[in-house]
Order: sequence, then structure tokens, then C-alpha cells
Amino acid sequence: MMELLPVASLLMLVSAGLAIMLLDVFTKGRAELPFVTTIALLAAAAISAAALFAPAPTDVPAFITDYLSVDKYGLFFDVVIALGAALASLLAGGYLREHGLERGEYYVLILFSALGAMVMARAVDLLTLFVGLETLSLGVYSLVGYRRTSARATEAAVKYFLLGSFASAIFLFGAALIYGATGHTGFRSIGEVIAAGHAPVMLVLLGLAMLVAGLGFKVSAVPFHMWTPDAYEGAPTSTTAFMSVVVKSAAFAVFLRLLAVGFGDELSRGAGGWPALLTILAAVTMVYGNLAAVAQSSVKRMLAYSSIAHAGYLLLGLAAVGTKPAEATSAVLYYLAAYTVSNALVLGALIWSGSHGKEATSYADLAGLGRRHPAVGAAFLVGVLSLMGFPPTAGFFGKWYVFSAAVQADMVGMTILAVLSSAVGAFYYLKVLVYLYMKSPEEGAPVAVPMKSSYVVFALVLAAYFVMKMGLTPARYLDAALAAASGLIG
Amino acid sequence: MTDHLLTLLLFIPMLGALTVAFMPRQWVQGIRATSVGFMVVEFLLSLRLFEGDFSTAAYQFELTQPWVDAVGISFHLGVDGISLWLVLLTTALTPIALFASWTSVATKVKEYAVAFLMLEMGMLGAFFALDVFLFYIFWELMLVPMYLIVGVWGGPNRVYAAVKFFLFTMVGSLLMLVAILYLVSTYKELSGHYSFELAELTRVSLPRTTQCWLFAAFALAFAIKVPMFPFHTWLPDAHVQAPTGGSVILAAVMLKLGTYGFLRFAMPLFPLGSQYLGPTIAVFGVIGIIYGAWAAWVQKDVKKLVAYSSVSHMGFIALGIFAMTRHGISGALLQMLNHGVSTGALFILVGFLYERRHTRDFEEFGGIAKVMPVYTLLFVIVTMSSVGLPGTNGFVGEFMIMSGAFFSRGEVGLGEYWFIMTLFSATGVIFAAVYMLHAVLKIFFGPITKDVNKKLVDLTRREKLTLAPLIVLIFWIGLYPSAFLSRMDPSVEAFQRDFNTRYRAQVSLTEPRLAPERPATAHHDLAPRANLQAALAPEGVEQ
Repeated sequence: MMELLPVASLLMLVSAGLAIMLLDVFTKGRAELPFVTTIALLAAAAISAAALFAPAPTDVPAFITDYLSVDKYGLFFDVVIALGAALASLLAGGYLREHGLERGEYYVLILFSALGAMVMARAVDLLTLFVGLETLSLGVYSLVGYRRTSARATEAAVKYFLLGSFASAIFLFGAALIYGATGHTGFRSIGEVIAAGHAPVMLVLLGLAMLVAGLGFKVSAVPFHMWTPDAYEGAPTSTTAFMSVVVKSAAFAVFLRLLAVGFGDELSRGAGGWPALLTILAAVTMVYGNLAAVAQSSVKRMLAYSSIAHAGYLLLGLAAVGTKPAEATSAVLYYLAAYTVSNALVLGALIWSGSHGKEATSYADLAGLGRRHPAVGAAFLVGVLSLMGFPPTAGFFGKWYVFSAAVQADMVGMTILAVLSSAVGAFYYLKVLVYLYMKSPEEGAPVAVPMKSSYVVFALVLAAYFVMKMGLTPARYLDAALAAASGLIG
Repeated sequence: MTDHLLTLLLFIPMLGALTVAFMPRQWVQGIRATSVGFMVVEFLLSLRLFEGDFSTAAYQFELTQPWVDAVGISFHLGVDGISLWLVLLTTALTPIALFASWTSVATKVKEYAVAFLMLEMGMLGAFFALDVFLFYIFWELMLVPMYLIVGVWGGPNRVYAAVKFFLFTMVGSLLMLVAILYLVSTYKELSGHYSFELAELTRVSLPRTTQCWLFAAFALAFAIKVPMFPFHTWLPDAHVQAPTGGSVILAAVMLKLGTYGFLRFAMPLFPLGSQYLGPTIAVFGVIGIIYGAWAAWVQKDVKKLVAYSSVSHMGFIALGIFAMTRHGISGALLQMLNHGVSTGALFILVGFLYERRHTRDFEEFGGIAKVMPVYTLLFVIVTMSSVGLPGTNGFVGEFMIMSGAFFSRGEVGLGEYWFIMTLFSATGVIFAAVYMLHAVLKIFFGPITKDVNKKLVDLTRREKLTLAPLIVLIFWIGLYPSAFLSRMDPSVEAFQRDFNTRYRAQVSLTEPRLAPERPATAHHDLAPRANLQAALAPEGVEQ
């Protein structure tokens, strides 16, 4: 039994998911499921956080390590994913109840999707990775289409499902090619065969390109981003929060691990290998994401495009992993943690701003809200400044750290492009503040009334705490990210 | 106590902001009194800075506390002769600015006071910071309160002005961030560890081309803030839309952070780059002097006139800095102070008039000297200071800058353009007299044409009280500038000496290099190129 301890957080989620299904049935939907779910997720986060600062476990049986890593890199993502999912389920607790959508399945789906995400982040084998990916994706497809009566949600879910299946197929095809070229599915073995020069280069490159395309879809990199705005907008806002933090973290986690371990040889991570490919992806992603976000009139859609833009910055960090593995990896980790809490804060504030029948989604809905409801305004202010990358918030340190890694990896031109596009980003984030504080609602327009939910308030307090804490005293989190990175890079 | 004076000075406004934030919003008088109270305490405490030893160039009240060890960021504060007066200007003017907009800001008073206190903390932090990262944080931090002050309490076109102000400043500072990162990355390669300490980073010597790029990135951030022609377009918008208090702080303190940034960071870090690009910046300074003056001349809105006069005055400061002579730099520092005092006073005066008539159009006034004699007297005094009449502070600053530019003929400085630049900048003084006196004439003298103007009330006691310290300062600096200059001089001298030493050590460099821990500062300065120069300026220039 003790040998299962390194994967305790995963088991925690499985058993919690099963227990909640039963709980929902036997209490006939009267149990406080968001509360139970959050406790389970926070417990998983706490287990992993404790393991993150403890010495690494020795003699873990091979039936685990061959498929799932037990390193600090995986533990770091356990914490980020569990925290992100906990915030999402707290937000769901407020959102679903307010809009009359509360059913037990939602929380079960969140738990199992989070499990899939953790498996992905820990995967060291293409097959485990695919299993994790599908566990996550299937759960999220249903979470997007959760509001069955809404045509918009159904459209979003179908779109996401079809494109997602397509991306999964491409990913699987790439995995098959890599297996054909190297004879292995384990990342490390793949890396060893490629480094030894025993694999046909064309086959490896083609396989790598397909893997990047498949994962690029999950992180919503341009040009694989088409589903993002629709899915983000159509989904219940709590699902949007879940997608933007959990799916993104898991996808980036495995993306980075796959590239660093499986394709960490001199040739692949050299100037002509994946860093070049990712640099191009990063450039188009951040520019397109930021420019498209400017044109939006819906805050939810703007946040979708902004999440594309953030994927661009992260891809820039990923590209820097080729030259400066330790710095860039820890930068990406820190950024993902910062983005998780900041985005949860903004989406949570958006959820808070609406109430039954008067959901706040557009800028106009927010007009004057900061003055009528200062607490909602403050949540938005902190979250938006963090997404903008403004000191002293988590987002500032994240952005600064990623850019620092990029500069050290000699990507000065790309960094300049990144800062300029984030200045474009400042424009649409400021627009939120302009509507909150400087505009008044139009005469006769429906006014958004904030909901009353202690779940949402608690989620916002938690997220805001981390946003400020990671901005004011980043040292601890930076150390954790560095430790996690050294677990991967060695 | 004195060990933590600077921390305390940062802490008090923050405490004030928190206190005010938890006060009931209906209790407007209490909020006003509390916020001004905190600011006055802050000012009185900042007077203790004089206990420091400003006869040396060393940082006083220095404080170093590791912050993020893994990447070499530290909480490093200090004050020297360059920042001392700017700090005092900040602590003195913030309460005055808030006091001046006592009645004009009637809505959301609580948020207004909180924004002001946060702004004060951001500005002071930027002046104290000796760690480049820390400086950047404070530099960005003060943007948000000012953005809100303009955007929430501003005039009809406030949103446009606020967003423009924010985006202009942000673009500049983001490029500066990349330059900082590049510099630190080079430092890491050379020394093996990270550091954002200014003193550590000045040890890095880079080749000329690299220095020019990095200096350009820093210069862009600072030039936008100053604002120098052609990056000045945000300023008239922001000033005209901002409430009086916001305008005062913006003009009196925030613009100074740009010129201060040149002196504290851009020039010491990149001597080759600043010498290579400095004369160009000085040319833009001179263009700004004349352009600002001409633009001010044709304005119909008094506030816009003052805003454009700021562009003109800040051009002088840029010229003085890049003249790289002792007179030039001291003059620029003094002029920063002067501009803060006199432009601050002008904005307050314009604000008072606006509160009475709700217009700032020249055409609406005329002959009001008869109904508002005290107001007129004060306005004329401040005008004289702004124009640079001998006896007022403006004269001393502008004279020193121009004499500094005139003798800027050494290895560093304006080079062969010293004469033409001095000549053109001198015309700026004449134009200043033209546009300011033109405004005074239009507003105050002649017959009263409008009936509403006959019923204008003269300044109240509160208003007089607001202006009194500024009027005192105008004459104090004008008549006895050495009180101020003596505390700047050692730092200015050391700044210039270090700059010259490093410039010469780096001038033939092709590879990045790290200087030894303690740079040899006991170096003799560059010899004057012309004997005539030594004869003309026995005490001032380069010795």
C-alpha cells in the first residue's frame, strides 16, 4: 500500500469522485457538493504541496514510474491543477446555483477532468499521456455543453468536441510515427534513441510536428485556436474558468516535459528544431490573440482571446527551454501558477457580477459596477492588473520571469515583440477598468446585480490572496518552481 | 529610527491609504482631514532627511534587504543629493495638491484620497529605489493611481486622456524592462550570479552599439515620461482632463521621474550610449523648448497653455542634463524643483479660477484684476517665476542650464553644437515671456467685458494657505539658491566624475566586460579642451 503514496493525490481524486457520485444519489442532491469537492481538491493540493517540499521518494515501483513520474515537476502541477480545479468548483457552487443549473454530475466531472489533467502532467509515456488527455477532454466537452437547453452551449460543445477529436487523432498519429521511428513510447527512451541517432530524422520531425499540432490545439495556439472563443463563451462561466486554468496548465505541463525529455537532444532543441517552430507559433499566437481581443465586446470572449495571447507568452518561454532549460522551465511553471490564480480571479469576478437572469458578459454590463459595488470592482482591478502584468501582482512576476528567460536565451527580438503585444493587451484590460470605474450604465439598460454567494466570495478571496502573495513575496513560489524545474531538467 | 526612515516614509502613505479605505464614505470631512494629516506627518518626517550627511556623494539612510534571493532582487533604498530635493518636493506638494482640490472633488472623496496616498508611495519609492527591479516596480505602480485620478475625476474627455497616458507610459517602460533584462542577463553571464543592484550593474561595461540600444530603450521610457518632443502628445490631454490635484502632481513630480531616471539609471549604466545619443536628445530638448513655447502661445485654454509650457520647461532640463557640465546638471536638478513649484502653483491657480467660472477660456475673462487683486498678485508672481525673472527661482535654474550648455565643449557633452543649442534655448526664455505675459494681459487687465466676472470672489483663506508655501519657495530658491545647491553639489560632482571615468574606460571596448568590485573613482577629470573655457568658468565646468 505504501508504494502508492507518490500517487496519493491522484487516488484522492478518484475516490472523491466516486464518493461524490454516491453522495449525490443518497442525499438526493441536497448535499453541499461544491464544498465537498473543494475540500477533496484542496486536500490533494495539500498532499502534493507537502511532498513538493519533502525529499524525493526513493524506490518507487516501476509499474508507477514507467508511466507516471513522481518528480517535483509533476507535484508542482498537482498543486496548480488541484488549486485551479478547486477555484473552479467554488465558482461553480455559486454560478450553477444562481442560474438554476446545479446538478451533482458537474462536480464529478470536474474531479475526473482534474484527474486526467494530473495524469497528463505526470505522464512520461505517450500512452499515459493520451489516456490522461482523453480523460480530461471528455470531461471538459461535457462541462462545456452542460447547459443543455442553450443552443449556444451546445454549439460550443459540438465545435470543441469535433475539433478536439480531430486534434487528438493528429496527436495519436504523431505518437504512432514516433513509435515507428524509435520503437518506444516512453519519453526518456525516445530521447535516448533520437540522441543516439538511430531514428530516421524525417519520421521524427513529422511525428514531432504532429505532436506539437495536437498539443497546440489544447493550449489554443494560433492557428489551432478556432474553438477557443466559442467554447469559452458558450460554456458556463465556471467551466470557462476550469478550462482556462486546468486544461491550459496540464497541456503546457506535458508539452514541456515531452519536448525537454523526449526531444531534449542537441539536434532537436537546436536552432533548427522545435524551438524555432515554437518561436513562430509564439509570435503569431501572441500578436493574433492580443489584436483579436481588442475587437471584442464581450468580456468573456475577450478573456478567451487574452488566454490565447497568454498561451503565446508561454510558448515563448517553452521555446527558450531549448537554450536555457532551468531558467525557462521554472519561468513557465511560475507563469502558469500565476495565470491560474489571476484568471480564476477575473472570471470569478465576472461570475460575481451577474445574478439570475442577468448574467454579466459584455463590457456594457459592467458599466459603473466598480462604484456601485466596490468589492466586485476591487476583485476585477487586482485580477485585471495581474493579467496585464502589472506590479505588484503574480502576473507581473510571471511575465517578467518568462521574458527574462527569453532574453537569456538570446531571443531579444521576440521579447520586444512580446512586450509590445502585451502593451496592446493593456488596452483591452484597461477597457474593463474604464467600464467599471469611468462609465455609467446607459439609460434604461439592464443593470447587472452581483449575486450573493459565499462560495464565490471565498474563491475570490483565495485567488486574490495568491495573486498578491505571489506578487509581493514571490521568493517561495519561485523556489518551488525552480525545484520543480530541477526535477525535470536534473 | 533613522535606519528605517525611508521604509517609514514608504509605509506612512500606505497606512494612510488603508486607514482611509476603511473609513465610512459619508464622513467626507474626516476623510479629507485624515488623508491630509497623513501627508503632513509624512512631510514633517521627510524633513528628517536633512539629518543625513549631504556633504558627500554617498547614499544616506541606505537600507538593503534581500527580497527575491534566487534572482538577485533586493529591497535597496537610499537618498543622495540628486534625489533629496525631489523627495522633499514630493512630500511637500502631495498634501498641497490634495488640499487644493479640497472642494473641486466632491464625489468619491474616499477613493480620491486613497489614490493620492498610493501615488505618493509609488513616487517616493521610485526616488528611493537603488535596485533597478525595485525602481521598475514603483515606476509602474504609480501609473494606476494616476490613471484612475485622470479617468475617474477628470473632465469630459477623461477616458481618452487616461488611456492614452497609460498606454504611452506603458509602451516605454516595457521596452525599458527588456533592456533591464538584457543587462542583467549579461551581468549573469559575466559574474555567474544574478543581481539587480544599480551599483552592481554599473560594473558591466558593454560595447558601444549594445549600449546605444539599451540606452535608447531606457531613454524612450524616460522621454515619454518627461515628456520630450515628439512623445509629448499625451501631456496636454492628460493635464487638461485631470482634476487640479492630479495636474499638480503630474506636472510637479511625475514628470521629474523621467529626468531623474536619466540621471540615476540611464546615464550611469550606459555612458557610451548616453554620450552617443545624448546630444540628439538635447536637440529634441531644444526643439521641445521652442515648440512648447509656440504651442503655448496659441492656446485658448489656460490649462493647456500651462501644459505646453511644461513641455518647454522640461526641454530645458533635458538640455541641462545632457550638457554634462556641473552647471548644467545642477541647474537641471534645480530647475526640476523650480518647475515643480511654479507649474504646480500655476495649475492650482488655474484650478481656483475654474472652480469659480467653470471655464478656462481666455475669452471669458479680462479685467479680473479689479475684482480679484490677491489672486492677480499671486498669479503674476508665479508667472514671473515661470518666465525666469531674476529674483525668482526660474531665473537661477534657467541661467545655470544655459551657462552649462554654453560651456559644454569637452570630450563629453554637446560637442560642437554647444553654441547653436544655447542660442536656440535662450530664445525659449523670450517666448516664455511672450506667451505668459500675453495670458496675464488677457485674463487680468483691460476692461471687464463679462458681467459674471464682476461677481468673482477673491481667494479664500484655504486657498491662500495652499499657495503660501509655494510663493515662499519661489523667492527662497530665487534669492538664496545655495541652500539648495550645496546639498546637491557633492552628488552632482561624483556623478560627473564617475561618468567621465567610466566613459573613458569603456570608449574602446569591443567585448562585454565586468569592472572590478570597486571602481577607482579618485580619478582626475577630463582636461578642458579650450583654455578660454577655463578662463571663463573658473569654478563651474569640469574640474
